[in-house]
Order: sequence, then structure tokens, then C-alpha cells
Amino acid sequence: MIDRRKFLTTVALGTASAAFLSACGQSSSSGQAGTADKPVTITYTWWGNDDRAERTRKAIALFESKNPDIKVNGNFSDFAGYWQKRATEAAGGGLPDVMQWDLSYLRDYGQRNQLLDLGTVKINTDAFEKSLLPSGQIRGKTYGIPTSTNAFAVYYDPAKLASLGIAEPDGSWNYKEFNAFLAEVGAKGNGTLFGGTDYTGIWWNFNIWLRQNNIKAFTDEGKLGFSKDDLKKWWNLTADLRGTGAIVGEDKATQLLPKSPFGSNVTATEVTWDNFMAGYLADSGAKELKLVPVPSDDQDNLGLFLKPSMLMVASAKTKYKDAAARFIDFMVNDPEVGQIFKTSRGVPASKTQRDGTTFEGTDKLVVDYEKSIEKYLKDAPEPPIVGFGTLESTFKRVTQDLNYGKLTVDGAVDAWFKEADDLIKQNA
Amino acid sequence: MTQSPTLSRRTASAPSQPRKSRRRGADARAGYTFLLPWLLGFIALTVGPMISSLYLSFTNYNLFDAPKWIGFDNYTTLFQDERFLQSVGVTLQYVVFGTPLKLAAALAIAMLLNSKRKGQGFYRSAFYAPSLIGASVSIAIVWKAMFGDSGPVDQGLSFFGINLGGWVGNPNMTMGMMILLTVWQFGAPMVIFLAGLKQIPTDLYEAASMDGAGPVRKFMNITWPMLSPVIFFNLLMETIHAFQIFASAYIISNGEGGPAGSTLFYTLYLYLRGFSDFRMGYASAMAWLLVIVVGIITLIFFKTSKSWVHYSGDAK
Amino acid sequence: MTTTATPVTPTSSSPAPAYNPKSESTTAKRIKSAIFHIIALALVAMVLYPALWMITSAFKPNSEIGGANNALWSNNFSFDNFATAMEGIGGVSTLTFFTNSLILAVGAVVGTVLSASISAYAFARINFPGRGLFFGMMIATLLLPFHVVIIPQYIVFQQLGLVDTYVPLLIGKFLAADAFFVFLMVQFMRGLPAELDEAARIDGAGHVRIFGSIMLPLMKPALISTSIFSFIWSWNDFLGPLLYLNTPEKYPLPLALRLFVDQTQSSDYGAMIAMSVLALLPVLVFFLVFQRYIVEGVSTQGLKG
Repeated sequence: MIDRRKFLTTVALGTASAAFLSACGQSSSSGQAGTADKPVTITYTWWGNDDRAERTRKAIALFESKNPDIKVNGNFSDFAGYWQKRATEAAGGGLPDVMQWDLSYLRDYGQRNQLLDLGTVKINTDAFEKSLLPSGQIRGKTYGIPTSTNAFAVYYDPAKLASLGIAEPDGSWNYKEFNAFLAEVGAKGNGTLFGGTDYTGIWWNFNIWLRQNNIKAFTDEGKLGFSKDDLKKWWNLTADLRGTGAIVGEDKATQLLPKSPFGSNVTATEVTWDNFMAGYLADSGAKELKLVPVPSDDQDNLGLFLKPSMLMVASAKTKYKDAAARFIDFMVNDPEVGQIFKTSRGVPASKTQRDGTTFEGTDKLVVDYEKSIEKYLKDAPEPPIVGFGTLESTFKRVTQDLNYGKLTVDGAVDAWFKEADDLIKQNA
Repeated sequence: MTQSPTLSRRTASAPSQPRKSRRRGADARAGYTFLLPWLLGFIALTVGPMISSLYLSFTNYNLFDAPKWIGFDNYTTLFQDERFLQSVGVTLQYVVFGTPLKLAAALAIAMLLNSKRKGQGFYRSAFYAPSLIGASVSIAIVWKAMFGDSGPVDQGLSFFGINLGGWVGNPNMTMGMMILLTVWQFGAPMVIFLAGLKQIPTDLYEAASMDGAGPVRKFMNITWPMLSPVIFFNLLMETIHAFQIFASAYIISNGEGGPAGSTLFYTLYLYLRGFSDFRMGYASAMAWLLVIVVGIITLIFFKTSKSWVHYSGDAK
Repeated sequence: MTTTATPVTPTSSSPAPAYNPKSESTTAKRIKSAIFHIIALALVAMVLYPALWMITSAFKPNSEIGGANNALWSNNFSFDNFATAMEGIGGVSTLTFFTNSLILAVGAVVGTVLSASISAYAFARINFPGRGLFFGMMIATLLLPFHVVIIPQYIVFQQLGLVDTYVPLLIGKFLAADAFFVFLMVQFMRGLPAELDEAARIDGAGHVRIFGSIMLPLMKPALISTSIFSFIWSWNDFLGPLLYLNTPEKYPLPLALRLFVDQTQSSDYGAMIAMSVLALLPVLVFFLVFQRYIVEGVSTQGLKG
């Protein structure tokens, strides 16, 4: 692992020699390192709302005060615009130095040499869960360091369940029991409250089910690791629920966009990532929401893993590798940064950050949940294949068509596989 | 003599007097001088990107690696692509039904407001406001609230006994919603019609009144011919814009073109293919196919315009 | 050449029962006026209902906006959303966003009006070799969806080192890159009688004099329309600023607006709508002020015949 003392010494030496060189009249515009008088400027970009922008600004200010030889120019946009801009910048050959990144795009950019191999710079990953790090690695090279994690969970609203006279679940359920639970809510909810959404429409849920059945989603060669029959089995899981009160109708769900049915108080449960908690509480106005593990037919293998909710990456073409590395290290490890962000990015991935933060309220709920499933966690999967973004959105779209009655399960399986095969062929 | 601009090259007629040829030389110089900014912009900013996008349409280009030449493959794949065909159908519906309705509303209201009655400013602004809101990001929430279950539209229709439920989540009704959205924004072409109406000399109307012409004769013989250049402009521009609709489709469908692909407009699909799937070559092929189709339609519009558009500025 | 029904010109007519406007009674006039206002107001009510919804939503708390809720009224009206909107984002004040939008919009209007009008004059009034070809190419630029040109254009500006400046956003406006406005002006110019040019030429005026002293004054409605539209398009432009601006202090309003709603975090629809309402006000005022200049051009009496 990386020796912290050696790392600091190297940086100190590097800074000193740069200062010496510049004092000798040589231009330090090779850009490798700066001094407090002539700081190096790196660009950092992220996506998020105004709340995250404020927190990041504080973190940057903190970094600059601790590292006077580096200036960070931050800029931000919304999620959708973010990727459009990155694609354009990459095509033009000028990605920012450090970037916040999403797992879905890690391989697209990493495998095509747009991102810096972080193994070539010094970033301390001692405090990270070993099972987490592979999720930022492609073919053994590290392209992204997770900032924070999330895990899949089932949300439920205890107040709504109480009003229907249904007992709160304890989370140790198999799919049959889960379906029965949804059906019960739907029956008693009488058209105003539904059980949940069609959980078979979320790729990551499918991924978890595959893991529960010891199937890998993708092979090492970048091909699909599962068969049409597997997908058919999966989509048939909710076949009996579609069209009943157990699952909220697709037309209703579409109307509620961009809010979720759960956040709009139309369903009693939702199956998704645990860091949506803050959003759901704000949208729904509920006093309390709870989290339990996802169903599994094998109670010893929940298929759960910690997924990086986001990662820090650097541009392959950055002129300031060391400065970028120091900034990344700071953002993922520094306990004060943990205090600034709490769980707004997800649960901090580095133990030093977690320990240095006091979690309250919503934050505590999520942290506690991840602690409670710790014993079930297995290795995170490698970043999904190139073009994953398309596969994920096609998955959702096909399930939607399924729920609209435009496709049968067989038709849906064929449609998705056709798209997937085409994509893999394109990127071969 | 001045000639009307057409899309084909016109050969100049031989000068019959020396004065004319001197003027022709001066005209050429003046023409290019006045056109200089446009020429600069065209060459520096537009031509290059246009040609490179044409080139890219014959390649596989994922934005990161160098483009790979594949000939006409993109174009042939297009016609076997179900979602492409769906996007064509969706867009055609929108153009065919949305554009005439919008123009009719714009012209009717413009004529209504082309008087000296009090409150012109208020009414013009009121009818123009939707075009402003329509361009904003909030339109998604606003429009969905209008067309949701038990929303104002649903309630209004129920009052007349038509129970359709919400339009937003119903794949059969979303096109109606999008068409109404564009018709709602008639304010923009309306303003242009108003400007055109104002440019018609009032002495023409007065003379016609003295001749005993009623409102219908006045409209047919004065308003329509004098307004025809502007009508042609709006017709062509609205049609082209309808083919290229992107922003409102993207915002309302959350970038997905749903539900069930019912709002998968052509340029939205193009964008998804280019930026989300990193298949810029395919997207470029879609773009140029659109250029060809809309170009042909534009050509037809220009050719047929000769029979109904009257230009006072052209010599008789 | 165009062959259409030319407008009715006055002839010496036989004395048919003439329509004498002065004979209409004031009561009839008042009734007509009332009917007009009733119809107009009814239309306004229908057309502006969504706008009304938007304004009242700006005062509602987030949990009551969107989702299953589309009522106009709320028991919890407050100015909270506006307060959030005015706070700005990431240390950049909302006032800065407004100012940036204003700078870009004014620049767009000036550039577009200047460059489009002179380009249109060339196309409409000057007979020069290649005019038809260039006109066709100009129209052709309207046909290509912008998504496939933004990357090559971006690369051009990046090579010139002009990223993170306002230059890429404004230079096109000064070079008549928006064919919409050039074509608009061309159509308006072609509606003005050729006799005007001839008369001026006989007096010895060259193209510059004809353009400045005759065309422009008569083009007021077209110039106003151009100003209004280019102001609004610039005000609402999202893609250009997104791609070319890297410093938040330079962001205009549309970029800031989108930040309130991020699909990966809790979204503040209330603040977004509040900021949209605030963003709409200057544009509406701009329109209200300038639309009154869409009036009759100078009468062309006496130039006919």
C-alpha cells in the first residue's frame, strides 16, 4: 500500500525542487508542481444541485487552505448536461483535471484512454473496504476511487402500513413473500395506495438476483454472462402482480415524473439505492421512512454489495497529475470533508472519513442500514461493460413497455437481447 | 431589374445599355460587401462543421477514437431500426397536425389584435407569454400538471362527459398533449403576423372601403396577398422547426421519449444515439437524412410559392 | 416572376351605397368593443391558466408541487422558494446570473439586428452574381439539427482557445449565423415596393443610402420582431453556455435554473419555478415595452402609379 510518510516526503521534495528550479530562472510552466507564490491551478467539475454546490465550495476552500500551492477551479452542472459536456470535451481532447464520475460511464471513458490510471499517482486507499475497490478498476488498472457507497434496499413508510393494518416487514423475505406483501398493500390500499413499482425494471435489482443465483452479469471478455431464460425468469417474477394494485400502473407513474411514486405518497414501498433517503423524505413530507434488505430465496446469499455512488477520476491528459492526486485523496479521505458532505453523496467509502463524521437523522438511518448488511456484503462487480448506460436505459424502457402491455415477457426478452447483442458487437 | 431570389442559379441577361453594366459591377461589389459578415460566419463557423458531420455520417464514431469509415452502413441500418421508424412516425404526426393548427391560431388572433382598440399591449403580451414559458425548463412540471389525472384538462373534459383520465401517462394521448403544447405557443408566429399586418399600407384598405368592399373582399384582395410573404415565412419556418423539435420533447419526457416511445421525436432519438450511446456516426446519418427530407419539402414550398406569394418589392 | 392577384387599386367607381364609417352609431361601436373584449379575455384566460398555475406554484412548498398535486390553491403559501432562488448557487449570486444573461442577450440583439439586416438587404435588394446560390445555402443551414455540429464547432473554438469566454456564444450573432432572422428580414423587405428604391436611385442614392434611409425606417416591425426573438432565444439558451462556459461566475440563468432540479438528489422544484418566474419577468417587460413599436410603417401614398 502507499506509505503516507513517503508520500508526504516526495511531495515536499517535489515542491522544494520546483521552487529551486523556478528560483534559478527556469520556467516552471512544465506544470508539474507549484508553490504558495505560484500555485498550480487544476479544474474540478461535478454534477449536483445547489446544496451540493455549496458543500463542494466549502470542501474546496478547505483544501486550498491546507494546500496553498494548489488552486482549484470548480464548476458544476446538472446530471444530464454533465455528460453532454464531458462527451464534447473528450471529443475535443480537453477534459477537466479532476472529475466526479458515475460508475455507468467508467468503462466507456476508462477503456478508451480518457481517464488517468490512478495507480501511477499516490492516493491512499488503506481505509477502504477491500471489496469495494474492484468497482473502480478495469483490467487491473484503477481508473476511479469511490467517494461514497450505496447499497440496495427496500424502503417502506411505516405510517402508511400502520394505517392499512399491515405489519412492518423485517427484511428476511423471499420473493414469494415480498410479492404477497405488495399484493396485500394493493388489496387494502383500494386504488389510492399501491404496493410498489415494478421492481423487475431496475437493472441493478436484476444484477442482485443474478448474484443470488451465483450468475455473473458480464464475462471478463465483456459479453453477457446470463441467458435469455434467466431474464425471462426474472421478468416473470412480477407477472402476477402487473395490472393489480400491487404495482402502481405505468401511466400513473409516468404522470408523477420527475417525482417517484414513493416520494409522491402513491406507493408504500420502493426498491432502490439507500442514498435516495433524503430525497424521499423531502418529496413525500413523511415523518419517517425505514430500510430493510431486499428479498432473496437464499437467506445466506442476499447478493448485496456496496456500489460506489460516485467516484473521483482524473483526465488522462492532465498536466498536474500530483495536484490532481492530492485533491482526490483529500476529497475521499479527509474527515472534515466527511463532515461537510455527510451522506449527501452516499455513505463515505473511507473509514477515516466515516469515523470523523457525526451522523444524525437521515444520515444515520442510511449509515446504520449499511452497517446492518455488512455481513452479507460480497465483492462489488467490476465496472459494467462499455455502453452500459444504453443497456440500463433499455432495460427500464422495455419493462415499461411490458407494463403498458405493448410486449409480452418473451417479446421483452428478445427486444432487450437484440439491443444488447447489437451494442456488444458495436463495441467489440 | 431586380429578380426574386430562387434556389437555382439564374443566368444574368445580357446588358443592353452601358449604364446597366456599370451598375451591375457596382451591384456585385455592393452585394458582396453587404454579405461579408454572413460569408465570414458561413465559412468559419458553419461550412466546416456541416461538412465534417456529413463525413461522420459515413463512419463509426464514438467520440473518443478516430472515426472508422463504414460507407453507407449507418443509412441502411437506419431503415431496419424500429425505434428510428417509430421516431419518424411520431415526428410526422406532430408536423402534419401541429403546424397548421398553430399557424391558423396565430393568424386568427393576429388579425383580431390588429386594431386600434384599447389594451393591445396587454393582449399581445398575454398571448405571447406561453412562448416564453414554453422555452423554460419549468414547462415540464407546468404542462404535466395541466394534463395529469384530475388535472384542469381532465376536469374540463369530464364536465362535457369525456372521461379520458390523465394524458401524460397514456401513450395514446401524449401526442395530443405535445401538439397542444406547440399550438399553445402560437404567440411567436402571431407576433410576426402582426408585424406583417402592420406593414400593409392602410391607404389600400381605405381605397377599398370607398369602393364598397366588405371585410371578406378586403381580406381576400388586400390582406392575404400583402401578407403572403410573411405567411410563407411562418409556414416554412414552423414546418422546419416542427421537424426539429427537441427541447420540449426532451424536458417533458425526461430525456427518454416515453411513455412507450410515444414522444420519441426524431432529433431526440438522434441525440440519444449520439450522446448517450456514443454513436455519433449514426446520429450524423440521421441528421443528414433529415436535411435531405426537409430540404426536399423546402424546395417544394419555394417552387409552389410562386403561385400564391406576392412580393411588392419585385419589379412587375 | 410572381403571378398573383395584385391588390385592389382605387378606380373611379360608380356611386354604390358606400360604407361610411362615420354613420356607425356609438352604441354599435360599444357593443362591438364589448364583444371583442369578452372574446379576447376568454381566450386569455384559457391561454394563461398554465401560467397562473406556475405562478401560484412558486409560492407553494415543495411537497405540494407536482406529483399527484395540481391544485391552484394551497394553505401554505410563502416566499420561501423565492428566498432560496435569490440565494444563488455555489457562492454565485442570482444577480450575477441575471447580469450575465443580460449581457449575452443584449449582445445577441445588437449583433443579430445589424448583421441580419444588412445580409437581408443584399439578398432582397441587390442583384449580384451568386445571390441565388448563397440564398439557397443560407436556407440550407436551417435544415441541419444542431446536435451534429456542436462537436466540430466546439473543437474549432477550443483550438482557438476561446472556451470559457462569451465569444463562441456571441460571434455567430454578429455574423448573421441565424438564418431565421435573415430570412425573416428578406421576406419583409420583399414586401416593400421596388418603386421606393427606384425613386431613391434616380435621386442619386447608392445602396448604403437606400438601406439606411429608406429600408430600415420602413422595417421597424421586422426589426422589433427580430430584437424580441433574439433577446428571448439568447435569454433561454442553455446548450451554448453549458458547453462553452466553465466558470460558474459566468453562467447565465438557464444553467442555474437546471441546477435546482438534479435527478440524483432531492430536487427543489419550488425554487426552480420561483427562479423561472423571476427569469420570465425581464423578458416579459422587454416584450411589453418593445411590442408597441410594431406599428404601421410610413404611409407609401403618393409613390404609386
